[in-house]
Amino acid sequence: MDIRAKKKIEKIMRYVILILATIIILFPIYWMVITSVKPPEEWTPTPTNPRLIPTHFTLDNYVFLFAPFGVMETFAQFRETIHQPLMSSLILSGSATVLALVIGTCAAYAMSRYKAGGEFAPFQLLMFRMFPPIAIIVPIMILYSALRWLDTAHGMIIFYTVVNMPFVIWLMKSFFDDIPKDIDEAAMLDGCSPPQVFFKVILPLVKPGIAVTALFIFIMCWSDFLGALVLTYRYWLTLPIALSKYQGLFGYLYGPMAATGVIAAVPCMVIGIVIQKYLVRGFTFGAVRR
Amino acid sequence: MQNKSTSWYKKPENFALLLIIPLQIIMNLVGLFPLIAEIYVSFTNWSPTSGDWYTAKFIGLENYYRVFFKDVQFWQAIQRTLFLTIACVLTEFLLGLGLALLFTDNFLGKRFFTSAILLPMMVVPAATGYMFFMMFQRDGPINAILSMITGQEVKINWFVFGDTAMFTIYLADVWQWTPFMFLLMLSGLLALPQDPINAAKVLGASRWQVFRHVILPMMKPLITIALLLRGIEAFKIFDAAYIMTHGGPGTATQTVSMYMLEIGFRAWRLGYVAAEALLIVVAMLLFAWFVVRPIFLKRS
Repeated sequence: MDIRAKKKIEKIMRYVILILATIIILFPIYWMVITSVKPPEEWTPTPTNPRLIPTHFTLDNYVFLFAPFGVMETFAQFRETIHQPLMSSLILSGSATVLALVIGTCAAYAMSRYKAGGEFAPFQLLMFRMFPPIAIIVPIMILYSALRWLDTAHGMIIFYTVVNMPFVIWLMKSFFDDIPKDIDEAAMLDGCSPPQVFFKVILPLVKPGIAVTALFIFIMCWSDFLGALVLTYRYWLTLPIALSKYQGLFGYLYGPMAATGVIAAVPCMVIGIVIQKYLVRGFTFGAVRR
Repeated sequence: MQNKSTSWYKKPENFALLLIIPLQIIMNLVGLFPLIAEIYVSFTNWSPTSGDWYTAKFIGLENYYRVFFKDVQFWQAIQRTLFLTIACVLTEFLLGLGLALLFTDNFLGKRFFTSAILLPMMVVPAATGYMFFMMFQRDGPINAILSMITGQEVKINWFVFGDTAMFTIYLADVWQWTPFMFLLMLSGLLALPQDPINAAKVLGASRWQVFRHVILPMMKPLITIALLLRGIEAFKIFDAAYIMTHGGPGTATQTVSMYMLEIGFRAWRLGYVAAEALLIVVAMLLFAWFVVRPIFLKRS
């Protein structure tokens, strides 16, 4: 066979594979999004109509979640707004991200430049991340039940800060390690004290790194399911918990459930696309840098 | 040249200490102290419904004895989780590597396809669980599509049978985490030095030979790290799987995390679960020390 024909077939094959893969990958997301804008009679496919394309567009499912009066009166007994889980998710993830970042950035700098905590400290943190979360939650449950910290904002914020600390340290350490030490030394020779070097010279240089780490940690906190499932029960339930709670409560109320799923999933997908370039570094604790 | 008027916190060693103290406080308070409490609790029959942890009855090694010799369900859950981990990680690796190989040169739409493939990784795992729960219902879209393809009505109750329920969990995990493998493999492939590959091509190696004898050996360190990280993460499997099946039917899809949740936080036998958690922590520590540490030290 002549080489050009062969090249052409290969080219077409690649597109066939990629388009198939994309359809498979996007289908679950697509189904959730279209279900969230369908009226009840279109939620489930029928033998004659798989309902892959919505025919009537409606925002009732979202209205049902936020102001559940006047829409879908047939499901009135299931009314429950998601204000509270949405607010807890935002407050807890936001505060934990800030706290973890402040503590972690300082410590990562000390580890990167002064080997503070010893050579072994970063690895210790990494091991902490290896345990299944449930094994970490058991001792935290012991502590929190003694302190009466269960289902409180500060309890959850500290929990998220601690479990995500390995990510902050390893990521920020990798960003600090990327900055040549010569810059520190040059600043020292210019008469800067160590705190000045850190706050005035190095911190401004790692601003992009801090932003990436912050977004990454926010995704991690926002996605947490097991922690909130065990450590909260009423006032500080988060969105992922709402998702599983309403699943039992609503039974087969697919529309509002899908809308909850969209609200829970979209922020992370947007953030993820923004920091796409750094995801490898994030998920491998800085071990693989592009 | 230590200047007497310099404040104490401006000395490098003091400043470093100051920077790391908050970390030490928070990690020891929430990480280490409870671990010590947990060791004690694992020798008691503590349950939060019966009072504080230090008032619980001391029962010696009974919890450990039960875990090792009486608790069939725990070991079944471990087996199931390991099986699921291996199946998921291998599939994700092969699919991820395969997809990454399609992206080594430039073509129209490359950025679009990259973003599309990466998308599942950023979906909240709980939402993934709900998506798959919805899709695999008896009257859900998957059965509808299968009906369309086969031409006869398909009404599979995916979550009613152990095997099919396990299969949906497997699919959800593969769907969500193949992008991770893809991303790692792609970054590895793009970072490869081109000279050895070109040399092999000039010498007349076929494409398979180049891949098998040049590219794969150079990728080996990265592949090890990728399999290791994904394996550790996959062993924790919980969120999506729990939302889909809650471990059911019966205990057919119960993973280690689900089992411990059930015993610890539904039946409130926290003393017993503390013993199990410690065993897993010790097993992981050994694994970390002998397997993970050498690999990570070699890289950094």
